[in-house]
Amino acid sequence: MALWGRMLWSFLSGPGRRGGTQGRAFSSWLPHRPPAGLLNATELVSHWTAVFEKRGIPEARESSEYIVAHVLGAKTFQSLKPVLWTQPLTSWQLQYIQELSSRRLRRMPVQYILGEWDFQGLTLKMAPPVFIPRPETEELVEWVLEEVTQRPGLAGAKGGPLILEVGCGSGAVSLSLLSQLPQSQVIAVDKGEAAICLTRENAQRLQLQDRIRIVPLDVTLEGSWAQLLLWGPMDLIVSNPPYIFHQDMEQLAPEIRSFEDPLALDGGEEGMDIITHILALAPQVLKHSGSIFLEVDPRHPELVSSWLESRPDLSLHLVAVRKDFCGRLQAVTGLLSCLFRPRFLHIQRSGPQRDCPVDARPGPQPTSVPY
Amino acid sequence: MRCRCLWGVARCLWLRRPAGSPRRYRSCGSPLLEELFAHGGPLRTFLERQATSEPEVRVRGRDLVAAAQRLSDKERELRETEHLLRDENEDLRKLAENEITLYQKEITQLKNQIFLLLVPSEETDANDLILEVTAGVGGQEAMLFTSEIFNMYQQYASFKRWHFETLDYFPSEIGGLRHASASIGGSGAYRLMRFEGGVHRVQRVPKTEKQGRVHTSTMTVAVLPQPTEINLVINPKDLRIDTKRASGAGGQHVNTTDSAVRIVHLPTGIVSECQQERSQLKNREMAMKKLRARLYSMQLEEETSKRYQARKIQIGTKGRSEKIRTYNYPQNRITDHRINKSFHHLETFMHGEDLLEELMQSLKDYADYESLIESISSQN
Repeated sequence: MALWGRMLWSFLSGPGRRGGTQGRAFSSWLPHRPPAGLLNATELVSHWTAVFEKRGIPEARESSEYIVAHVLGAKTFQSLKPVLWTQPLTSWQLQYIQELSSRRLRRMPVQYILGEWDFQGLTLKMAPPVFIPRPETEELVEWVLEEVTQRPGLAGAKGGPLILEVGCGSGAVSLSLLSQLPQSQVIAVDKGEAAICLTRENAQRLQLQDRIRIVPLDVTLEGSWAQLLLWGPMDLIVSNPPYIFHQDMEQLAPEIRSFEDPLALDGGEEGMDIITHILALAPQVLKHSGSIFLEVDPRHPELVSSWLESRPDLSLHLVAVRKDFCGRLQAVTGLLSCLFRPRFLHIQRSGPQRDCPVDARPGPQPTSVPY
Repeated sequence: MRCRCLWGVARCLWLRRPAGSPRRYRSCGSPLLEELFAHGGPLRTFLERQATSEPEVRVRGRDLVAAAQRLSDKERELRETEHLLRDENEDLRKLAENEITLYQKEITQLKNQIFLLLVPSEETDANDLILEVTAGVGGQEAMLFTSEIFNMYQQYASFKRWHFETLDYFPSEIGGLRHASASIGGSGAYRLMRFEGGVHRVQRVPKTEKQGRVHTSTMTVAVLPQPTEINLVINPKDLRIDTKRASGAGGQHVNTTDSAVRIVHLPTGIVSECQQERSQLKNREMAMKKLRARLYSMQLEEETSKRYQARKIQIGTKGRSEKIRTYNYPQNRITDHRINKSFHHLETFMHGEDLLEELMQSLKDYADYESLIESISSQN
């Protein structure tokens, strides 16, 4: 029986199966198989929750709910049709849940296990080691959308802004901006090949590929920005750059440390390495009075502010700092305490523009990029 | 005092009218419309007063006065033509008959027009709505019934081509539903749906019952108008938004998948939650939608509670505790207790199509009628 199940599973979980098995061979050892007779969704969630809890897996209930819901074709357990709660599962569904859950036992993030996650209103493909977008970044996008709609100056001369995203990862920020700003165009850059591929794939899935240029580019390399000038001055730069202080990297949870690309997380000694590169590059590519929106560490607003003061030549000014989810309360040692984390920066450019070809908007993609 | 008498009379007349499609009573000169326009009745008095009063004291616009004038002209012409029916000349009699049919048609149209001009419009008429269903007395059986009712409204929304979005959904272990809410939008959605609020009662042998006994269980429906940006303004400072994100640095430092959001409106203590979506932002938007609808319906209730107190068809909180409808399976019957109207073919009814539509329309017509009588009485 077990052999039959295994054969069936290997057949069903062939390459390209939903959930992105990464070609990993089917594990011949099946730990924590639920006892016979446990066959419906609710019981399986309880079973796997208990297993995860016992093995110290964080978010045990959420993880098992997401896995079971995913196998049954829903995004969340709450959105599952009630019939499916109690309906017996087929043997391949049981096997599939078993396989996904065993990945969770190896601390793989749920987003990678499911092979997809939601950001703003979009469902995006997720694949290791490309950085998984965090909920805070949804707020960064919200802020950009607010500013673009409230200040027509930001929207650019042609109806929609030309936006540069540095470090696009899965494409979450770029694609949600594109989908909500129908006139906008985006140049998305990343130095990771996996990120470039994933952004491209997500853009195609969402049919947004016509308004996005996805460029492999390392902003830390001298003169790398030059090729961006081809598309003309940007109205906006958006980025969720790696901002974790290097010494904090060791303390990250195994889900992050062992699965996500450290290059998308490690911001150097003070978490400022990439931030300063973006700021140094900004005046070259940003139009006069263009804006930069960044997600940063709560310690960064001050550091960025003083760094900008030390670089008056950049003509950049920190104009606003925004906290994430306002008024969030958490139980800390039995008392409710308020946590506000300054998280987002709006930096604006002023002063004369340098070396920027005016009004060269994205045309046909150049075949070779002059350096 | 006089108001109460009028309502009593009106209600009796309405309930005594012959059975048939309720939609017909206004469109082809039903007894109700005839009674409403009876000579010497309150509506006539009201219309006469409107016609003779100075323009500036007229309660309603020129349209109403003009329609009332045309109505009385047509009625006079009809009476004059009726004499011709006794004429010796057969051709003339035939001509008169044709004329009379035309007059009657026109008169009915005018009465309908006056009726529609008089039914007061509500602030919420054009709003979208939030539907909430909650299982009541009866354990698992009540939850099963709640799930059926929720499906019925979902099917009705698609029947009407309205937008339907589930905001939250808490199923029970055996496939029932403890509580759910949905946002419904579309032309006239709230106008029709608002009369669904209240306690719905089911009588049947539950699936869980082994001895074949009939049980009575209940569930509650609440229909809250969805406020527009102008209808309701919330101060962000009055809100506390809780998410279950890890403490500490947040952002790139943690990877949480728990996207549940809980919003507390501090001045009222109203709590709104959502964990329907994987995106926290989406959950927050949905929770906010529900919260706004609750606050708005509270605000509306304060404004209108006095006006609605005497009405038979209640909406808002007061209506929520009232038993409005019974679904009796052994008798294959649905009865709406407010208008004492019964339907058969329960299963078809639960499909959320024509039969449900017909009942909703009856309720709406009756409510329109009540508010018309009310508005006339307060001005007479």
